Amino acid sequence: MKFLINRWLTRNAQSEIHADHLRRLRITDIWVGLTRTGILLLFLLGWEWSANAGWIDPFLFSSPSRIWELFLQMSATGELYRDIGITVLETVLGFILGTAGGTMIATLIWASPFLSRVLDPYLVVLNSMPKVALGPLFIVTTGAGFGSILAMGVAITIIITTLVIHSSFQSVDPDYLKLARSLGASRRQLFCSIIFPSCIPDLIAALKVNVGLAWVGVIVGEFLVSKNGLGYLIIYGFQVFNLTLVLLSLVIVALCATAMYQIVSWFERRLLHHRHL
Amino acid sequence: MQTTFAIEVDRVSKTYLSKRDQVEALNPVSFRVQSGEFVSLVGSSGCGKSTVLSLIAGLIPATSGEIRLWGERVTRPPRGIGYMLQQDCLLDWRTVKKNILLGLEFQGLKNRKTIAHARFLLRELGLAHTSEQYPSQLSGGMRQRVALVRTLALQPDILLLDEPFSALDYQNKLHLEELLINVLKKRRMTALLVTHDLEEALACSDRILIMGGQPGDIRRSLEVPEELRKAKPLHARGLPSFRPLFNEIWKEIEKP
Ligand SMILES: Nc1ncnc2c1ncn2[C@@H]1O[C@H](COP(=O)(O)OP(=O)(O)O)[C@@H](O)[C@H]1O
Ligand SMILES: [Mg+2]
Repeated sequence: MKFLINRWLTRNAQSEIHADHLRRLRITDIWVGLTRTGILLLFLLGWEWSANAGWIDPFLFSSPSRIWELFLQMSATGELYRDIGITVLETVLGFILGTAGGTMIATLIWASPFLSRVLDPYLVVLNSMPKVALGPLFIVTTGAGFGSILAMGVAITIIITTLVIHSSFQSVDPDYLKLARSLGASRRQLFCSIIFPSCIPDLIAALKVNVGLAWVGVIVGEFLVSKNGLGYLIIYGFQVFNLTLVLLSLVIVALCATAMYQIVSWFERRLLHHRHL
Repeated sequence: MQTTFAIEVDRVSKTYLSKRDQVEALNPVSFRVQSGEFVSLVGSSGCGKSTVLSLIAGLIPATSGEIRLWGERVTRPPRGIGYMLQQDCLLDWRTVKKNILLGLEFQGLKNRKTIAHARFLLRELGLAHTSEQYPSQLSGGMRQRVALVRTLALQPDILLLDEPFSALDYQNKLHLEELLINVLKKRRMTALLVTHDLEEALACSDRILIMGGQPGDIRRSLEVPEELRKAKPLHARGLPSFRPLFNEIWKEIEKP
């Protein structure tokens, strides 16, 4: 048995000292994993236990088992999945439109330095503005529904994307531009072959930030519009004092946001694996 | 009889203008390079060597004076010149094969014949095995050779080289110098090499232009003796006439 464990710990080793090194690394990995899981279990068990023992008010703080039960109950009727679907759709669309729109504006600004100087103060003002404060305006213009929530998701991401991507366009190494021009590149070719591709790492960084921002926009949008979606569940649960519902929605938001972030990271690894960053 | 020179720099000066101030980089300078000649430009840092090259490459406009290539006035990046920098400027997201086709792509000259020629050059410089690799997988010397192939793929008549070997270690530098000279001789190309390495200038070129001052000026033009010109770069460095000349140029540059 001990022999088997040791063999597993030292798999793929190329020599005696390499095996030692691998064994130490892998034992640390195992401890990290165990500690991580332990903390989570301890937290959940402690929470459950305190709620049952009456140390904390289960009406206010709910408990893991209550949240799980509510989850099963709402899954059965299917309404939960509809709300998740709507919110995820709004967020994904929001951050894709925001990132794409911001990149497009940045490209326009790059193409016309004059326009860039004209728009500069407007962008600064718009960027400093708390975008969620525009909520009421979106609701009166696009109606209290999908449109205004999406607008919120886009508004919160588009300006910052424009600023970040534009400054990234401008920070391309001038030697590369010199060289490309000497090879006969037109301004358009310069942009498509050199400038845009060199900014892809920054674009992906913007994408990562925008995932988080779009969630803020969409949840706040749903707070305001209050028809459906996870944001609606949170505000509704709060109004009827069903804190179990609030906590369940929060857990789901956390899981969905993490999943999206992971997808973007995966995308990043695929796109950038030839670049040494 | 009127001969056309490959490069004619005719009383060209350059002042960089910005919002805050102006920098006089180049006093009016004039020189000419004959077809097939290899000329080096040496001088202290900041005396305007790179500026001269950028002007000839048509990348920046001259403040006064005129530059002509084969008798034709330069107003924008002309065809038929190759320009190389200290940085290889390879695109990290393209394979070697695609990097060397960049210029052909830009000029709309990518066809079966030109692609075959680029492949041939890659083989000639001993890089055939790297064609599917990415630049990040190559060593510094190999990367600079890929950059050379990218430049040669456009079949230029004139090469403008701005310290192309100064980021390389000594061995790679010697190796690339020799490679470059063979490539140039074979194609009877004209070359203008900027370098701060006097040994390199002496070992490679037919003539040396010594620049100095700020704003810069050409102080002297010095023919490299036949003996050094004929020898390979590595051997030239060991010939008895090498050191005295080296010291002479050194003193000229050191003058205030
Ligand atoms: N784009 C630029 N804008 C302003 N000044 C410049 C620019 N490029 C070079 N200079 C100035 O011109 C002078 C000559 O520079 P350069 O041609 O690069 O010299 P060298 O290549 O001989 O070292 C320097 O004083 C430098 O600061
Ligand atoms: Mg320079």
